[in-house]
Amino acid sequence: MFPYLSFMTFFPLAGALLIALTPKGKDNLVRWIALLTTLPLLVAAVKIFCLFDRSLSTMQFVEGPYPWISTFNIEYFMGIDGLSVSMILLTALVSTVAVLASWGIQKSVKSYFALLLLLFSGMFGVFSALDFFLFYVFWEVMLLPMYFLIGIWGGPRREYAAIKFFLYTLLGSVLMLLVMLSFYFYSEGHTFNLLLLADQAKQLGPFTSTAFRHACWLGLFICFAIKVPVFPFHTWLPDAHVEAPTAISVILAAVLLKMGVYGIMRICFPLFPDASIYFSGMIAALGMINIVYGALCAMAQKDFKKLIAYSSVSHMGFCLLGMSSMTAEGFNGTVLQMFNHGTITAMLFLLVGVVYDRAHHREINGFGGMATIMPRYSAITTFAFFAALGLPGLSGFVSEVLCFMGGFKNYPIYTIISVSGVVLTAAYMLWAFQRVFLGAVNEKYKDFDDINMREVVTLVPFMIIVLIAGVYPKIALDLFNSTMTALSHAMGTLPVAGL
Amino acid sequence: MKQDLIYFLPELIVSITVLFLFLLDCFIGKRSRRIFPVIAFIGIAAMMLANKSSSPLPSARFFSDMMVFDHVSVLFKYIFGLAGLIAIVIANGSHELEKVDKANYFTLLTALVLGMMLLANAHHFLMIYLSLEMVSLLSYILTGSLQGSRRSSEASLKYVIYGGVASGIMAYGISILYGLTGSMTLTGVAEFLRMNAVSKTALYTSVLMIMAGFGFKVASVPFHMWCPDVYEGAPTPFTAFLSVGPKAAGFAVLLRFFFGALSQTTTSGIEPIKIIGLPALLGGLSIATMTLGNLAALQQKSMKRLLAYSSIAHAGYMLLALVALNAEAVTGVIFYLSVYLLMNLGAFLVLIIVGDQLGSEDISVFQGLSKRGPFAALLSIVMTVFMFSLTGIPPMAGFIGKFYLFGSVIKSGHYTLAVIGMLNSVVSLYYYIRVVKIMYFDEPVDGRNLTTPMVSHASTVFALALLTIYLGLFWNGLANIVGQAKLF
Amino acid sequence: MILLSHYIVVSAILFSIGVIGVLCRRNALVIFMSVEIMLNAANLAFIAFAREHGGMEGQTIAFFVMALAAAEVAVGLGIIMAVFKKQGTIDLAKINFLKG
Repeated sequence: MFPYLSFMTFFPLAGALLIALTPKGKDNLVRWIALLTTLPLLVAAVKIFCLFDRSLSTMQFVEGPYPWISTFNIEYFMGIDGLSVSMILLTALVSTVAVLASWGIQKSVKSYFALLLLLFSGMFGVFSALDFFLFYVFWEVMLLPMYFLIGIWGGPRREYAAIKFFLYTLLGSVLMLLVMLSFYFYSEGHTFNLLLLADQAKQLGPFTSTAFRHACWLGLFICFAIKVPVFPFHTWLPDAHVEAPTAISVILAAVLLKMGVYGIMRICFPLFPDASIYFSGMIAALGMINIVYGALCAMAQKDFKKLIAYSSVSHMGFCLLGMSSMTAEGFNGTVLQMFNHGTITAMLFLLVGVVYDRAHHREINGFGGMATIMPRYSAITTFAFFAALGLPGLSGFVSEVLCFMGGFKNYPIYTIISVSGVVLTAAYMLWAFQRVFLGAVNEKYKDFDDINMREVVTLVPFMIIVLIAGVYPKIALDLFNSTMTALSHAMGTLPVAGL
Repeated sequence: MKQDLIYFLPELIVSITVLFLFLLDCFIGKRSRRIFPVIAFIGIAAMMLANKSSSPLPSARFFSDMMVFDHVSVLFKYIFGLAGLIAIVIANGSHELEKVDKANYFTLLTALVLGMMLLANAHHFLMIYLSLEMVSLLSYILTGSLQGSRRSSEASLKYVIYGGVASGIMAYGISILYGLTGSMTLTGVAEFLRMNAVSKTALYTSVLMIMAGFGFKVASVPFHMWCPDVYEGAPTPFTAFLSVGPKAAGFAVLLRFFFGALSQTTTSGIEPIKIIGLPALLGGLSIATMTLGNLAALQQKSMKRLLAYSSIAHAGYMLLALVALNAEAVTGVIFYLSVYLLMNLGAFLVLIIVGDQLGSEDISVFQGLSKRGPFAALLSIVMTVFMFSLTGIPPMAGFIGKFYLFGSVIKSGHYTLAVIGMLNSVVSLYYYIRVVKIMYFDEPVDGRNLTTPMVSHASTVFALALLTIYLGLFWNGLANIVGQAKLF
Repeated sequence: MILLSHYIVVSAILFSIGVIGVLCRRNALVIFMSVEIMLNAANLAFIAFAREHGGMEGQTIAFFVMALAAAEVAVGLGIIMAVFKKQGTIDLAKINFLKG
């Protein structure tokens, strides 16, 4: 069988090398190479979408395990199940869009696109690796291009934002490294194979001490929580988002944040079922805090991009609330929310990018009456805003409801408080909309061009997906339902209902 | 005796090279000084070949128990040889060493390699003391080799004073240990300690005092004070060697001392003797060393001082593995030293190339380096590789080194130490990445472009960078070689 | 009757004098002399222990330590001369060109 996963992981790397070899000054050639590198990824993603067997909960498209470092039993082992396939599809789509959205980059184009493609390699690698060590390597490899992409092409405070992002993530990943090493030394047969480790975890795993299991779980959780980001580890996110160029913000919000949740569900849950259940109340509480706190922060923002950054914090809270239930419903809600948030926030960041490219600022109060100046732009924005605030019929609604349904069974109070977040979301979204698009026309911006064709092309796929997933969510749910059901069985049920 | 000489062949080759170089110095005129680095290079390369041919021999002690031959000593000889070869390449053609007498410099450098080899072989405390002093004395002289330079002579004065004190304390420590056990060999001490009860205080005092000598060589707290000054004052090509060669030799003797004299083999493997709390001692030293190194490195303006403090921090990481005192610790330290050699020499070589052309050794010399022409752009990528590797980020070899070190700590169950060590490596990111940051994010202060340096420098720096990445991805080969490491 | 402990006490006193000299004096030459005292304290202990254990090893090492001490002084004095020529002082408190 064609090695789809390896192809998707290493093809961008080949593209990056090709770009590095192109002669200086051929910026357009570089842009086209980048686009032509991502299009096959999209094709492969569509192919995976068609070939993926929805009835199976096990790994598919498996490659390996091939020995890589035999001294340490490290293997090259790739494969995807329902959880990863949704992320792979999202990543492929976002990658292509990110290349299109970067078309306007003028500063050292060659390095920019080479780093961007390197970043894609890391992203696909993280979502398909089934060996803990391999996962870790991809996880870290992603950091390097991201640091440069924010630090060189970002806004005025880019250096601060880039180092903050790097330090936070590295802090998390060293904790993951410690847990990974503990797994290696204590597991039966000394392995990094995540599937084998999950099997061993069913009989309480390699660690006999409960306290130690809990400590390891917390280490991993902090690592992933930084990426999600979960309150109180979220402070890097607004900085990184605000300073990053549009395409990087899109990737950051749509894919990188998902890696946190993905990591929790791929590693924390199957490897520590009992500890996960023990801490599920904490996850739910953190989810609630994320939802409400993120929404309140978003409401206080004057910067358009920062508002969306905080809305991401809020929306990722739904994922936490959903997964805390340990039920198939909640898990389905979490994965769907990840996917939906990816598409919707990508749209929002692209839309902010559109107006920023024209006005060169993002003050929400600095606009006004944009609806009359840029009618098409405001129509698309209306659509995206309504998707973000969870209007029934659009995708955000379905996943939020699923998350609430999951969470309500065990943590009714947390869930009820969280529901207020939906109201807050509607409030800040509509308020921002009113300030930017309605009201008196700002004379300065009277002769702005409406959204152009390239920008529309980047947005339309997301709009279609949001609409389809909103009206007919089964098409997405089918992808991961069986995997999530199996995971919830593996986790067992929550013993007592909490708050 | 004849059998002994087979074990001693690599040392013999280097000894002959050194003597030959000394004699040559008397007979050859000032003009043909260029032959010295060539001969030194050939001598050390021949040593490595001899070392390879001797590696299948079984472990043995020779010269009436003065020295020991085992796989660890073979591995260390490779490390020293490689460090020596690269140091010769770096020194040959450096602007800084233009006025230094080439004959002296390369002869003493070769002799220094010999001293390190003897140190890695030493089994008798007399041998340890002698070879440690040999390494030290030659280091003092080479540090001060820039005649007429105030920095260089001051650095060597500080070095010789700290070194003298450390060796005095160590000699006294050895005398106490001798008094306690009546034995001067490492295994003899271990045997005595296994059979007999000794005074805990006296043993602890003597171990602490002996650690002064070793700690001075590896630059661990509290004997690290010389390190920043000496690194800054010494000629940069020698600083580069100093940061990897003698440090590795120090770790060789540390491994021998702790595994030879102060541990015992039980059914579950090697473990430290129980009389004194070695893990607590080493753990404390290691945490203090790495934390001090990392925190002090944050505030440095000079690149050489930054690398000095970073080398202190790295000594701390390696000491952390010694806490474990298990078989993984030996392989971990040797693996780390091998990759540290590559990445640290690489970082110094970049500094030498840039510093020679732009005339400064401050961190600010790297400002906007990536925009100083095509060669500088490549060099910035190379430097980025070294900096990230020193931080320990995959896919660079430095990460695998950390993976080994922390693996051995985790295996021995010292989780708190592992967490502190990991947090330290996060702190270190901040100063390493500052170099990367100013190379890429800042603008150069002037319009000077970097020209391509001599071929040997350029090819060495690229080879080191490629190796650093290659060993980060495919380290099975090195892992297999290092994995055979067995002491005694 | 002079016992082993007498030798050890003398050597410990000598060593302490050396350490105090190193810590309190700022003149490079005096520090060197203090280091010599430390090494001689070690020598005394080596010889005393050698007599106690009845082997030759301790006595041999004493000779080597002496030789090495001489070598160290030779190198050290050379370096002190170089510094004195450059800076006009061998007071360590005043030699502070290198600092971070």
